Amino acid sequence: MLLLAVEAFVKIALVIAGLMGGTSYLVLLERRMAAWIQDRRGPNRVGIPLTKIRIFGLGQPIADGVKFIFKEEFTPGHVNRLLYFVAPVLLLSAALAVFAVVPFGSVLPPVLGGEPIELVIAPGVNVGMLYVFAVGGIAVYGVILGAWASNNKYAFYGGLRSAAQLISYEIPLGLGVLGVVLMTGSLQLDKIITQQAAHGWNVLVQPLGFFVFAVAALAESGRLPFDLSESEQELVGGYHTEYSGIKLMMFLVAEFLHMIVAAFLIVILFFGGWHLPWITGSEHMVSGWLGGWLEAFLRVGVLLAKVLAVILFFMVARWSWPRFRFDQLMVLAWKVMLPLGMVNLVVLAVLVEYGKQMADALGVGEVVLVAAVGWITLVVSWVVTAAIIPAPGQSQALPIGAADSIDAEPAQQREEIEP
Amino acid sequence: MNDSPWVFILATLLGAPAMWALLPGRSSRGRMAGVALGSAAGGLLASQLHGVGDWVDSSLFAIFAAVTLVAAVATVTMRNPVYCAVWLALSLLGTAALLFLQGAQFLGVATVVVYAGAILVTFLFVLMLADPEGRAPYDRMSWEAALSATAGAVIVGILTMTITTVLAGPRKTAQDVALSNPDGAAQAIEEHDRALADGVLTERHVARFGSELFGRHLVAVQVAGVLLLVALIGTAAIVAGHETAPQETPPEDENEPVSSAARREA
Repeated sequence: MLLLAVEAFVKIALVIAGLMGGTSYLVLLERRMAAWIQDRRGPNRVGIPLTKIRIFGLGQPIADGVKFIFKEEFTPGHVNRLLYFVAPVLLLSAALAVFAVVPFGSVLPPVLGGEPIELVIAPGVNVGMLYVFAVGGIAVYGVILGAWASNNKYAFYGGLRSAAQLISYEIPLGLGVLGVVLMTGSLQLDKIITQQAAHGWNVLVQPLGFFVFAVAALAESGRLPFDLSESEQELVGGYHTEYSGIKLMMFLVAEFLHMIVAAFLIVILFFGGWHLPWITGSEHMVSGWLGGWLEAFLRVGVLLAKVLAVILFFMVARWSWPRFRFDQLMVLAWKVMLPLGMVNLVVLAVLVEYGKQMADALGVGEVVLVAAVGWITLVVSWVVTAAIIPAPGQSQALPIGAADSIDAEPAQQREEIEP
Repeated sequence: MNDSPWVFILATLLGAPAMWALLPGRSSRGRMAGVALGSAAGGLLASQLHGVGDWVDSSLFAIFAAVTLVAAVATVTMRNPVYCAVWLALSLLGTAALLFLQGAQFLGVATVVVYAGAILVTFLFVLMLADPEGRAPYDRMSWEAALSATAGAVIVGILTMTITTVLAGPRKTAQDVALSNPDGAAQAIEEHDRALADGVLTERHVARFGSELFGRHLVAVQVAGVLLLVALIGTAAIVAGHETAPQETPPEDENEPVSSAARREA
């Protein structure tokens, strides 16, 4: 009992330290990457304090953290004090609490003759995937309460936009997850990984589901091109306009953590988690050289490398596309992603139920059949979507006033532009 | 530790005026009296709790139960509707924690996902845009303090009595067996535990829950779905009606466009 508690606390400490350290250096990476894409130099000066040694700007996160903590923390007089304090705490704790069920490896071999150590804080949660959704739902409160408590119209608009966006994109997100759950038959994240290690990664089997989930996850993390809730040009800073000092830092860190969670989920649900063919084994338990220790650490490395790759993709995406307009955002969620998710789910349900018989009749392997149907579905639905939904730059992108002069549903156009 | 129903009745009789005094619109001295009466009622109910062996479990249960109850009372007694919604969210979180303590992981998580994560956020969303005064007559009727306190007390009383009798069932049989036949006691308790482990604590409990829901209760699920669809169509019809014929809007309903815009966005 005591040993279990110690194990849990060690894992919690490791995860929180890793996340906080990782976040600060990922922020530096993001700034350097932004500079690279925009042909600037980026933060490359701060090195070891009190010396002149610059180590490629690696001291920058420390300087940023110190600055955030020691800057004046100004509380405006017109805010609702209680909720103003609660909101950032709530948001950050929810963002950290998600990692209780997210595995960061598979399992360590037994130490001192005990049980093997699962590399997840809360092993064996039957409803791991739903837990992620539940805690993500709590995070919305942080945003919306912070916005309301700020008593500022820009913050309020940011909060409303954010709430509408998060609620809308939770539906395609859920549909994307449902496809995976249907294939695996379990809501437990480590079982989802083991199933993929045995039967092939989900991204190959159900590419449409991956597409829907990835877009929804990017939207849920609220980054460009989905960062309408804090679009600086219109809303100053969105829902954290009135925050400063360490509370602002809590908001920013929580936002970054949302992106890391999204990356972890994409890797675990669709890219096989710690699995790499022929290199890591495909059983949940580790074995092989050095009593399995090599394989265990290899798996952690593989998982983290995949997560980093997804995060890098998110960062490139941020500097590659402009922000959506609010009506485009809603059209994407309700008219594109929702039907696509439905199509994926129905196709998968049919395949899970009748795939074996169909594969036997055709004389091919079941996985091959499922993957082939998955890719055909992706191509067909892509073509159909492109034919039905007008591309941006056609009727959708008219200036607000010009919508009155054409006949194509002027009321509809006006209504979709936010109040 | 007597199981007489009078304790429940007394607690409810104390609780009803407490709630009435606590509802918004009373004087602050009245609210203090309400707090006092309410604590007395809560204490009476707490005295009926069965002793639980493991102190960690029982203290966790006590904490979460207290959080749930206090938040639930605060939900109906706060003057600011945004606070009401936040307290309701806390109460739902407490409920989810209680379900987790019982081993019902799926129900606990579903409570948070559905109620706290989706429905209440939408409430909050509309509350922030809408008019907190509530001008419709049905709104004012639900604010009638004496009526709502009475109705609430009756429901709470009946539910508490029913639930305690039902829940005491298996435990009581185990105790009865223990009294009449000390050798059979361990076996009876073991059977009870095995039934529990077979029910909610198994690995497949989510899958079983799903097949039960979509097997035996399929019709109920479908009816609920149709009901929600009808509500959705009704909302769409109301919104569309407002847009084609704005002159038909009654003059006292001037806040409607704002809230309907909110609904559309949500």
